[in-house]
Amino acid sequence: MQEKIKDIEKQALAAIEKAATAAALEEVRVKFLGKKSELMAVLKSLGTLSLEDRPQAGSLVNASKSIIETTIKEKMTALLQAEQAKKIEAEKIDVTLPGKGIRRGRIHPITQVMEEAKSIFLRLGYEIAEGPDIESDHYNFDGLNIPPHHPSRDMWSTLFVSDSVILRTHTSPVQVRVMEKRKPPLAIIAPGRVYRRDSDATHSPVFHQLEGFLVDKKVTFGDLKGTLTEFLRQMFGQNKKVRFRPSFFPFTEPSAEVDVECVMCSGRGCRLCKETGWLEILGSGMIDPNVFKAVGYDAEKHGGFAFGMGIERIAMLKYGIDDIRLFFENDIRFLEQF
Amino acid sequence: MKVPIEWLKDLVDIKIKPEQLARLLTMGGLETVLEADNVLEIDIIPNRADCWSIRGIAREVAALTKTKLKTKNFKLKTNEISKNIKNEVTVEVRDKKLCPRYMARAIENVEIKNSPEWLKKRLEQAGLRSINNVVDVTNYLLLELGQPMHAFDADLITERKIIVRRANAKEKVTTLDDKTHELDKDMLVISDPNSAIAVAGVMGAGNTEVNPKTKTIILESAYFDPISIHKTSKSLKLRTDSSIRFEHGVDWQVVKEAVDRGAAMIAELGQGTVLKGKVDVKAGAKKPKVIKLRPARVNQILGTNISNTQMINILKGLGFKVSGTQVAVPFFRAADVYREIDLIEEIARIYGYHKIEATMPNTSFPDKEVDQQDLFRNNLRQILAGCGLNEAQTYSMIGPADFEKTALPQDKAVKIANPMNIEESLMRTSLLPGLLNVVEHNHNRQMENVFVFEIGKVFESAAQKLPAEKWLLTAAVTGSPFISPIDKGEADYFFLKGILYNLFSALGISNYRFIDTTSHLIQPGQGAEIAGLGFVGALHPDIVANYKVNKPVFFFEIDLHELIALAKKERRYKSLPKYPYVYRDIAMFAPKGIGNQMIISAIKEAAGHLAADVFLFDKYKDSLAYRVIYRSAKDTLTDTEVNSHHHQVIAALVSKLNVRIR
Repeated sequence: MQEKIKDIEKQALAAIEKAATAAALEEVRVKFLGKKSELMAVLKSLGTLSLEDRPQAGSLVNASKSIIETTIKEKMTALLQAEQAKKIEAEKIDVTLPGKGIRRGRIHPITQVMEEAKSIFLRLGYEIAEGPDIESDHYNFDGLNIPPHHPSRDMWSTLFVSDSVILRTHTSPVQVRVMEKRKPPLAIIAPGRVYRRDSDATHSPVFHQLEGFLVDKKVTFGDLKGTLTEFLRQMFGQNKKVRFRPSFFPFTEPSAEVDVECVMCSGRGCRLCKETGWLEILGSGMIDPNVFKAVGYDAEKHGGFAFGMGIERIAMLKYGIDDIRLFFENDIRFLEQF
Repeated sequence: MKVPIEWLKDLVDIKIKPEQLARLLTMGGLETVLEADNVLEIDIIPNRADCWSIRGIAREVAALTKTKLKTKNFKLKTNEISKNIKNEVTVEVRDKKLCPRYMARAIENVEIKNSPEWLKKRLEQAGLRSINNVVDVTNYLLLELGQPMHAFDADLITERKIIVRRANAKEKVTTLDDKTHELDKDMLVISDPNSAIAVAGVMGAGNTEVNPKTKTIILESAYFDPISIHKTSKSLKLRTDSSIRFEHGVDWQVVKEAVDRGAAMIAELGQGTVLKGKVDVKAGAKKPKVIKLRPARVNQILGTNISNTQMINILKGLGFKVSGTQVAVPFFRAADVYREIDLIEEIARIYGYHKIEATMPNTSFPDKEVDQQDLFRNNLRQILAGCGLNEAQTYSMIGPADFEKTALPQDKAVKIANPMNIEESLMRTSLLPGLLNVVEHNHNRQMENVFVFEIGKVFESAAQKLPAEKWLLTAAVTGSPFISPIDKGEADYFFLKGILYNLFSALGISNYRFIDTTSHLIQPGQGAEIAGLGFVGALHPDIVANYKVNKPVFFFEIDLHELIALAKKERRYKSLPKYPYVYRDIAMFAPKGIGNQMIISAIKEAAGHLAADVFLFDKYKDSLAYRVIYRSAKDTLTDTEVNSHHHQVIAALVSKLNVRIR
């Protein structure tokens, strides 16, 4: 009996040794440990033994069973690991191959800069208003204190549709349109396209402006300075210096041109800022009493400031673009840089 | 305007360095750049008529540096014994509205020759060419005083009679630059009894030009109506140093000062004699304007605490006369200072903008009329960029060729009366032409995969004064959308439809339909109308052929107004399904003309409310395989329940659509 058991064990261990795959090993397990295995037959036959012999024979069978089981388990683990390793080896990829999927699209740089500027004013509590691109000369000029045949009309080279209908030369007409309809307090920004009869590396017949204005009972020139300084610092950096220079716009009085410290040279003077250390960014001023008068506001009881900026110019400075026409060519290699 | 610093120093003491002077003027409101030879290049802003002269700049410098102007003395020797100008020259001003003041002096026995070197040098530094001693004097004083004058050869003026009148219709005049202009009745001319001898305030005529033989000079100094000069100069396209100054308004008093000084200088440089007396024809006396200034108002608007004394000193420094709260405006500022606010600006400017403290407005921001349209457009851009489209920005103006190439009707296009070129002469009625140019531009530069969209306005002539404006969203795509070329496949109708699916679902729009279209833009059978919203499809090959693009192009164009109307403003949560679904597949051959949407509708109709979803899950040649997802909200469906529904579905497909079940 003992020999038979040992013989089975020997055979089993040899078979385990021989098994090269998990499947083969599983066959071995069934063969030697399964219900129909020899070992099980031996176990079942124990009943035929005498009572004294049973325990010994029983423990012999169990010892062999245990050895076989353990050996199979170990072998199985090794085989599975080897198979997994083989599978992993086979599944290795070149991780430097390109990724799948479609290229993402980009938002146009002009839109990005416009949205950035808009969001600053929206956070300050301003709201958005819009007007038509094709405007009457009333809103574009007369309502803004620019009478017919006044030389200040020549500040803009205008594209005409007819004598009294033009492509708006600035977003300022929106000021007049909003004030005509609503009463103060008003805090408005007006983004949009504007048109001039101009074309070279820094002038485009179509470009974008962001106009803004605030009207309330008491608004001071100091408030204009504070608001625009805050805007420019958020737009160009908290440590940038800002300066206000007297200037002229027919629809503001006093008027101010607003410069920010040059983004390239930080004020030391370079080609970009024409050695001045400053970049002109905004036109602004206190809304002219004649503009209030034209919309029926009492200039004695209301004050306000207005400002406007060219988005292309800011984008050019921000990204270091030297030709405005690139924005409208829409070369994919250009667009994909933003 | 070029201003030599040496010349400026004749009129005002300057103790600061040229660089500092340039910065001081810039911060005072006149953008100034220092050029070679200590010449300042100053950008004169349109309202500052007084700054179109070196004296005007000197006045600014004096106010900014708190010094006084120097006064220049000159001697005017007249020919007391012999002649009085009144007996030699007659002046008749027929239109005193366009010419409120006309002055003249006469100088006899003048020798026309080169100017002395100092004069030549000054003119050259200021950017003018020396001509002769007489013309140079008028230019010199134009620069220094800002008063344009004209010198006539008196012997070439018929009867020595000067008539200031409106031009006759179609009257012709040949100006000093040898160009002949046709005038109209709104233009003012200086004339003799026979013909015009100058376009008033703009340019003299050749017929009375000072020449080497000239002996007697009539020197004109006048005040012409600014608007009239502006119009004339603009319509003749003749912008001169003279017209620039007249159109801004010259100094009423300097009209006289200039003619006196001019006569004296011409006499001196040409060894001539000035005739006694002068012509001075004027519409009436001009009085300085007086404005009431409220110091409290100044500080209220500026947000400052400037003292009354400071304000008065600033205004006096600029040449204003102040008594109490009454401020008299000098003639040289009459054009731009006529209200209290104008005085406030003068005070702010000289006080220094940098000294005004920056504050934040103490305002109660009003209820917002939040502009949904703007937010919506921005949202669309983000969605479309996420779908692989690049945003483009093209001109709002296109050309007739763009209309022809896309066969879009031109009749309603808004025309620009003075376009820069024909390519930018019509307002776009569609964004497609602009985007097709973008596709072509990129193809021409070896970029064959172009995926672009634009959100922009289009324009159409309308019955009312202003044309109709409408926002569109248009996309044009061609080539491979993939990151890598090893991923095969190119943009097609279904690529765009996939984008539209994502776009609509992002906007919460589910009730959209794709229907047949006959749009000329679309290749028949490869595109659809998106009912009520726009079009999507393959661009018609006949149109593609008009562009240098060698691949099919696909596009969509959508009306944003309609899109925003459909977009869901608010969303409500729907509870998640509690029970599992059971599915059944149907494979079939559909007869020609039976499309996907028809099959899905038929299945849904037959399956009833238990069909949670129906979709095509496999397609091989003509064989289509649909999966029907059955689910009940009440319990788990049994096979028996599902089978009974599914039999109805199959029966309906066969009977209604005549499909062949595989």
